[in-house]
Amino acid sequence: MTQALAADVVMLEARGVNTWYPNGHHALRNVDLTVHQGEVVVIMGPSGSGKSTFLRTFNGLEDFQTGSIIIDGINIGDDLRQRDAIRREVGMVFQQFNLFPHLTVLDNLTLAPVLVRGRAKTQVERQALELLERVGIHEQAHKYPGQLSGGQQQRVAIARSLCMEPRLMLFDEPTSALDPEMVQEVLQVMQELAAGGMTMVVVTHEVRFARQVADRVVLMADGEVLEIAAPEQFFSNPQHPRSQQFLSQIN
Amino acid sequence: MSSSRHQQLPPQEQLSALETLRLACFANPLDGLISLALISAVLAAAWQLLRWALLQAQWGVIAANSTLLALGRYPEPQRWRLWLLLWLLSTVAGLSWGLLRRQSWPRNDLLATAVLTGLTLWAPAAVAQPLAVQAHWWGLTAWLLLLRSSAGAMAARVPPPVLQCWALLWPVVYVSGMGLIAGGLGLVRVPSPLWGGLLLTLIEACFAMLLCLPLGLALALGRSSGLPLLRMGAVAYIEFIRGAPLITLLFLGQNILGFLLPGGLSPDRIWRAAWVLTVFASAYVAEALRAGLAAIPRGQVEAARSLGLNTAQTLSHVVLPQAIKVALPALVGQFISLLQDTTLLSLIGLMELLGTARTVLANPEFLGRNAEVYVVLALLFWCCCAALGLGSRALEVRLNRQRSVAVR
Ligand SMILES: Nc1ncnc2c1ncn2[C@@H]1O[C@H](COP(=O)(O)OP(=O)(O)O)[C@@H](O)[C@H]1O
Ligand SMILES: [Mg+2]
Repeated sequence: MTQALAADVVMLEARGVNTWYPNGHHALRNVDLTVHQGEVVVIMGPSGSGKSTFLRTFNGLEDFQTGSIIIDGINIGDDLRQRDAIRREVGMVFQQFNLFPHLTVLDNLTLAPVLVRGRAKTQVERQALELLERVGIHEQAHKYPGQLSGGQQQRVAIARSLCMEPRLMLFDEPTSALDPEMVQEVLQVMQELAAGGMTMVVVTHEVRFARQVADRVVLMADGEVLEIAAPEQFFSNPQHPRSQQFLSQIN
Repeated sequence: MSSSRHQQLPPQEQLSALETLRLACFANPLDGLISLALISAVLAAAWQLLRWALLQAQWGVIAANSTLLALGRYPEPQRWRLWLLLWLLSTVAGLSWGLLRRQSWPRNDLLATAVLTGLTLWAPAAVAQPLAVQAHWWGLTAWLLLLRSSAGAMAARVPPPVLQCWALLWPVVYVSGMGLIAGGLGLVRVPSPLWGGLLLTLIEACFAMLLCLPLGLALALGRSSGLPLLRMGAVAYIEFIRGAPLITLLFLGQNILGFLLPGGLSPDRIWRAAWVLTVFASAYVAEALRAGLAAIPRGQVEAARSLGLNTAQTLSHVVLPQAIKVALPALVGQFISLLQDTTLLSLIGLMELLGTARTVLANPEFLGRNAEVYVVLALLFWCCCAALGLGSRALEVRLNRQRSVAVR
């Protein structure tokens, strides 16, 4: 599968990325990652290993000092306009949902397409309702986020990103803040999204999701990428000692 | 102790009003003693006040000067313009009230309606206004209440963009109101020294309230900006203004603005004072807004940015609507102090409500009538502040509806 994809378009290419936080902490050490179009990459690793930092550099929420990141042909540089262009093409789903509490579910979805893409509101609304139907919450379209359960909110957040028609979706521990009984409904939506051909980079600890959906699993520790492998190999026969240690801890 | 008695009762048990009162005030001998002492003190004070108000006070001073206290020396032939302004205000206020409350009539609104109706029927008659003027007031109140209920009934069908831009109507009302008051554009000019009393108080307070919001917002954003120079400038401004008493700033303003802008360019005394009030209030408004901005989680900005919104869009569509909601109670507190601070303008010689009251009291004819005049002044301020408080409470409830109640 990976071989077949390798011939395909490269969606994301990170080379030798180094990040230091202002307090001097070296959060990313020479990390490389290539993601092809349609691929699902799961990033795992112990807490504090730099997974979020890495993911957030992909849409310019975090700065990096050396190395290069090219997304869909656009180089993330210092140019703010390029950064805005990348953000339009990259969707992000957060651990804490981050829905806009003062807007209805529908307005959460339509805000960015109308403001950023300048599309007609009625047309965006039609698309938004379709998306909400796809994630199973079209009946709640006129409620406010505070009236929904965590699982519903996270599904709205996914639909909100999709409404911008992104080429790449980033997920930062999308189920970690959810009650256990709601994890599955969110993973289900993500699985369908992957089956539909979306390119996805997902930070998660859900082993079952990684086994079933990921094309490759990345293990990070202490700001470094230590292992990249297909899921069946990663979970049954991890190569790096830190991978073995990590897997024994989460099982 | 009385609270522990409450907790022992099963929650579904209904207490009679009398029983509740007994538990709240007389649960044990000590509670009872304290309650008794308090009640008798309040009753005694109320009795004295009532006796003074009904038997000793000579309210003639209010009736004789009611127009002066309300308008200053605004010329009689031009007063129809103020009536027109009142109709305009009552229209916008009634519509705003209705749009905020929709079809609900909470207890606060019923109370406000009752007080308003009572005042309209009683006050003009009490200050011996002719029947025509009394009827005019009745009409104004009836119109306000009529619009309140009809706007309330139609609010659900008003398109959201209209509601979102509604607040922008108030600056327009202010500017047209000032046009009516000052004249020009075909209307006879009424020079500012003739404006006075409550009219001048409201002109000054509303000017500052409307302008301190954008100014305070700019300062709050400056204070949390990444540019060091901008940040230091905002901090210096806020700290300087908050460290100086308003009265010194008012005196300073009268002199400095005169130096800075010589001759005819220098604004009128009234507008100089209004600007000082604005400058003063904006420092406090900036701090209230900064607290609101600080209350918005980082994730909100990150979500907006990752959707592609730029800085300005993030601010106007995501951050500010939430920050203003958080800051609203503090902002209204600021507005209420601002209204009361206008009394300081009498010390720099402006004939606002307090200044006018003092000229009335300086008149030998009304010597010794201080208590009567100041009681009325206090009540007038109290009414204005109560209206502000009620309005902001209604706004808060409307803005917060998404937190609790489902919207259909
Ligand atoms: N704003 C920051 N300033 C300084 N250090 C930070 C900051 N954010 C994260 N870190 C540190 O960088 C490391 C990586 O953090 P993060 O990317 O959030 O890890 P993960 O998502 O894998 O748990 C951690 O040690 C964390 O303490
Ligand atoms: Mg993380």
